[in-house]
Amino acid sequence: MKQKHAITSLLQLFSLRFNLTGVAALILTCGLLGPFSYGQSEIVLRLPMPTTGPNSLDPVRGASQYDNVAASYVYETLLEYEYLTRPYKLKPCLLESMPEVSEDGKTFSFKLRDDIYFHDDPCFEDGKGRKVVTRDVFYSLKRMADTDNQPKSWWLMQDTIKGFDQYRKEQNEAERFDYDAPVAGMVEINDHEFQIVLNQPFIRFQYTLAMFQTSVLPREAVEHYQDRISRHPVGTGPFILEHWETGLQMVYRRNPNYRDVRYPADPGMKDDATPPYQGYAQDKALGMYDCAGERLPLADKVVLTMFQKNAPAWLKFLNKELDYTRVASENFSQAFIKRKRTLRPSFEAQGMRVVALPLLDMVYNGFNMEDPDYGGYTDQKKWVRQAISLAMDLDEVNEAFYDGINLIYDGPIPSGLDGHPEGHTAAVNYRGPNLQKARELLKKSGHPNGEGLPPLVYYTSQQAQSREMAYMTARNLKKIGIKMEVNALDFSELSEKMREKGAPFFGLAWGSDYPDAENNLQLFYGPFKSPMSNNFNYDRPQYNELYEEIRVMPASPERTAKYVKMRNMIIEDVPMIGAMARTRYYLIHDRLKNFKPEETFSNWVKYLTIK
Amino acid sequence: MNRIKQMINTREAKKLWRNKLALVALAIIMLYLLAALFVMAGGISRVTCDTVIGPNKMPGFYRQDTPEKRYENSTKKFLTKVKRALAAEDVEGALSEVSLGPFTVVNKSPAELEMLVAEVDALAGELNESPNLDIDPSLLPKIADLEAAEAQLKAPLTAWQQFVYDVSILLGTDAQGRSIFLRGIYSIKIAIQIGLVTAIFAVSLGAFLGAAAGYFGGWVDHVVVWIYTTFSSIPNLVLLVVLAYAFTNSAAKDTLLPVYIAFGATFWIGTCRVIRGETLKLKEMEYVHAAQTAGFGPVHILLRYILPNTAHLMLINFSLLLIAAIKSEVILSYLGFGVKNQPSWGIMIRDAGNNGDVVGGFFWEIGFATALMFVLVLAFNILSDALQDAFDPKHV
Amino acid sequence: MWAFIIRKLVYNIPVYLAIIFLLMVLLRQRDPVTGKLGKNATQEDYISKRKEFGLDQPIYLQYGVLLKSIFTFDFSQESWNEPGVTVGEKLRTAVPRSLALTVPALGITTVISIFVAMLSAFYRGRWIDRLLVFCAVLGMSVSFLVYIIFGQYFGAYKLQQWLGTPVFSIHGYESGLLNWPFFMLLPVLISVIVSMGYDTRFYRAVMVEETQADYITTARAKGAPQSKVMFVHMLRNAMIPIVTRVMITLPFLVTGSILLEEFFGIPGMGYVLLSAIRNDDFPVVEGFTAVFAGLFIMSIIATDILYAVFDPRVRLQ
Repeated sequence: MKQKHAITSLLQLFSLRFNLTGVAALILTCGLLGPFSYGQSEIVLRLPMPTTGPNSLDPVRGASQYDNVAASYVYETLLEYEYLTRPYKLKPCLLESMPEVSEDGKTFSFKLRDDIYFHDDPCFEDGKGRKVVTRDVFYSLKRMADTDNQPKSWWLMQDTIKGFDQYRKEQNEAERFDYDAPVAGMVEINDHEFQIVLNQPFIRFQYTLAMFQTSVLPREAVEHYQDRISRHPVGTGPFILEHWETGLQMVYRRNPNYRDVRYPADPGMKDDATPPYQGYAQDKALGMYDCAGERLPLADKVVLTMFQKNAPAWLKFLNKELDYTRVASENFSQAFIKRKRTLRPSFEAQGMRVVALPLLDMVYNGFNMEDPDYGGYTDQKKWVRQAISLAMDLDEVNEAFYDGINLIYDGPIPSGLDGHPEGHTAAVNYRGPNLQKARELLKKSGHPNGEGLPPLVYYTSQQAQSREMAYMTARNLKKIGIKMEVNALDFSELSEKMREKGAPFFGLAWGSDYPDAENNLQLFYGPFKSPMSNNFNYDRPQYNELYEEIRVMPASPERTAKYVKMRNMIIEDVPMIGAMARTRYYLIHDRLKNFKPEETFSNWVKYLTIK
Repeated sequence: MNRIKQMINTREAKKLWRNKLALVALAIIMLYLLAALFVMAGGISRVTCDTVIGPNKMPGFYRQDTPEKRYENSTKKFLTKVKRALAAEDVEGALSEVSLGPFTVVNKSPAELEMLVAEVDALAGELNESPNLDIDPSLLPKIADLEAAEAQLKAPLTAWQQFVYDVSILLGTDAQGRSIFLRGIYSIKIAIQIGLVTAIFAVSLGAFLGAAAGYFGGWVDHVVVWIYTTFSSIPNLVLLVVLAYAFTNSAAKDTLLPVYIAFGATFWIGTCRVIRGETLKLKEMEYVHAAQTAGFGPVHILLRYILPNTAHLMLINFSLLLIAAIKSEVILSYLGFGVKNQPSWGIMIRDAGNNGDVVGGFFWEIGFATALMFVLVLAFNILSDALQDAFDPKHV
Repeated sequence: MWAFIIRKLVYNIPVYLAIIFLLMVLLRQRDPVTGKLGKNATQEDYISKRKEFGLDQPIYLQYGVLLKSIFTFDFSQESWNEPGVTVGEKLRTAVPRSLALTVPALGITTVISIFVAMLSAFYRGRWIDRLLVFCAVLGMSVSFLVYIIFGQYFGAYKLQQWLGTPVFSIHGYESGLLNWPFFMLLPVLISVIVSMGYDTRFYRAVMVEETQADYITTARAKGAPQSKVMFVHMLRNAMIPIVTRVMITLPFLVTGSILLEEFFGIPGMGYVLLSAIRNDDFPVVEGFTAVFAGLFIMSIIATDILYAVFDPRVRLQ
């Protein structure tokens, strides 16, 4: 009975002492505490990251854009893109100068910088970061071949470096993967000079060297941390990962030993008074060169916060708790006068600024060319697909789901790359809606009003938006008499369907890995059919030949002509309908300086600062 | 049947009839049922709910939108469609296919239409000079002119069409331009359907197993208790989500079946417990003993003497489960595991959250869904309170 | 007493085995592999990934492996979604956060609702009782979601706009006692408001039963002051159902609140669990449910024992 008394009196105490002033005091204290929890003395960037963020910081395991962003703070690659220059231009990062390419375009000679050290980390003998040498570069590349690492990036290296494929096969079959075994195409000259020999003079290779998957990391760290390397990166980059709260927050701190790298200097107008690159004047006006010559990184600390939903990120931005945000389409009309795409005065008054960034991306609907009903290369089959393309209304989709801010273009080459049609429209195209022409083509193909055609089965992802878009397409196809069944699957089932060629018609998107149309054109190359990247299973000999030619051609008018030829083939055969490229609107507070966002590469946070 | 009749005539039932509040609640529930029946009879179809009837995020109660939105509404959607049709090869045919909700193109020659479009364009062009229509009240008459000019392109509606349209936009439109009112009403059917199906299933399963366990005891009791302990040892929401998720790629993924199964599997436990306890008590009653000595089989006794005497408990549990089902549906749909392909209150609340409604200060969609749900759940709460007061006043 | 506990434990072992099996079978309706492969994955990648996850083995073997790790308290299996993080680590970091949300919420709710329930029961049938009961019903009729959506919008965002200084966090979490009010108080308050209705009604029913008991009448007849009757006599005797209810709720403290954590970005158990289910991270879901189910069974047994301790009529046989 005694215990009972104790509990009772405790409760009694609680209920009597509990009063409203207590609550008020509590609220007041947290009001005071809130702002105090933020430091003032150092430069702290507070940046958002959509979704739950990266899964792994191991360069060879990462694949998504978010892996890319998070890894690019800590890791560096041999090459990188110039921050402000457009169109994109590569420059050396870990290298002293751009690699020298031999006459036949197959041998690349590299020279590493002499002042690059890994982050200080207990994995090194005395805890001090060691100098980066040739072996580290080769080791990092070889990790992409080791299936024990579950690399997601082998496709970048496949059939590229001389002897690398064979090395991969041998070592994975061997009892132990031997990183010291030689690869014919990786030639070490000394600690900071080396050569890489390719099978063929692939143009893509130099872009690969700027992708985060080829980041350089030390063998000690991998052997010390094993699997945990994906959570505990040791690189050479401007920041060091200090804290990672999965799905919530990542905190980076400036790397105190970062080598002397300076903010790009103002190139000034060219002698003939033309700007040195596209958009120079604007950059200059925005004060992008105010920090010229200052040592990087400019910020002391970066706090990356992950948001699964847009609403909290948006509210936090409005309350100035984030330095910038992507404007989700649902918040677009709140912030912008849609008609003019200008910021509303109330937002301007708070010192916000807009940066619009057209993405190198391609939202499309694709056909399986091996499908007995809707695939195939005969004229009749082609006309059916063209008719379907003509019945679709991408403008309506754009209006209904993206607030009309997307860019619609013909063919598979996104805007800004060689081979993109002028005015976004190809001379011959099958862009809808043009129901009359669609009906004519159907008639010509022997299926007037869709007669004799089985229902078209469409696969798309399970998100509410993709689903609604599919229903819209179905409504439009019904107008020309084609029945479409919508199947919404989650991402893994959808990929599975692609792999087994099980989807006659599907909706997907592709984001370019590097700024060269080759990356998009390879999606239609016959030998890359499912289960590889060619989900269309498009296989036209003429096209394949052209692809084999262009992938070893440097940029030139002849190559562009071939791109156009390939693009027109795709438009004519209609393995895909589309495409649409999203435009990203960024909103920033005026305290954030030097902000020129980019999604093709992500290592630009080192240039940002707060003033 | 006799038992139920008896039940209706008891003192308890009369007590229920005297409870004014409960009667109001009952009337409200009947109203909802009528609405659900109306939807089921085809009054509002799924297609109607998904049809775009006008501009997006239109405010309700026929309130005027902001000038910028009004400009946008008059120069997009319908006008774009008309322009595209006028540019087509077969103009007449293309024009006949233009539609936006109930609106079609007015019966005029293409040349006349071209002129009307030019008129709209001229007005729009003038307005387009202004950097921000929202802060320039002097342009309001012009916007009204623009709207009038654009309205000339639309064929006049019949009285019935106009009535249907007015009802549809009573509470405005959602982010895609679909009627909030119709979607909300349609969702009543979904809520009632899910509530009834799962409550009937869960109560009958729970009552059957509970009565059997209580009456037979022994290993039957052990098995039943074992099953429900197992199910209740998995956190409720986890079980719901995992069950619903297990169906994501099956053929039934777009139907309500996963929801039924998920709710059915978790909801029967409470009823089963209560009925088992009651049966343990009833088993010792004299009339049951009498029936046993008279030689009736156990099934007969269960069906005739025990289950009917737990009817009041079943009724109370039934109304409690209905509430639980309706509320859980909203949360499950919100998380993306519940209703798909058709509107429901959860979907509406989710859409309102995802489409920036709340953040942007547009409360029509979330408000209507919440209000409808609130009134129904409130009515059921009051009713089940009254039921409990009347039939089971000692219940804790 | 010990015999009783052991008997109960043995009785619940099959329950436990069934929970694990049920969950395993349900989870395995899905294919967790494809989503974890990058773009341009090949069939070999797929097969090797399946093998790595142990999904190529028959289900009874997988079951055996899982049981073994549970019964040896071995939570060192790695999460599939975050390579390098073990299930044990996830539990260790997530559970305290959920507790920081749920324990204060339960405490405040229980105290306030008992207080309100006493008031209500004491004035049974009068306007104050009716008003309180009606408010409880009103509160129960609004969806949890709506409380959260509006709570976040008005409580965090709008409040900050009006006051010009952040009072509550919109989204996010930082550990530390001083940070607690900023990040956690709003979710706790929302949780209190949501559960108040249910708890008040429950406790009122308990109290009402007590007010009708003889000893209250006697106490009143003796002229004991009302507050004494309420707090000493009534509350003491209502302790058994109150403690039982709190006991039953205890395991749920660990699960956290999926919705609150998801909305406010608190990486507690609910948040981790939901993202694990969404990402087909089987080891995390299984490990977590194993722990929860264990706690749940334990609390059932503990409740039985408590009954016996408090109520001499129940005996531990």
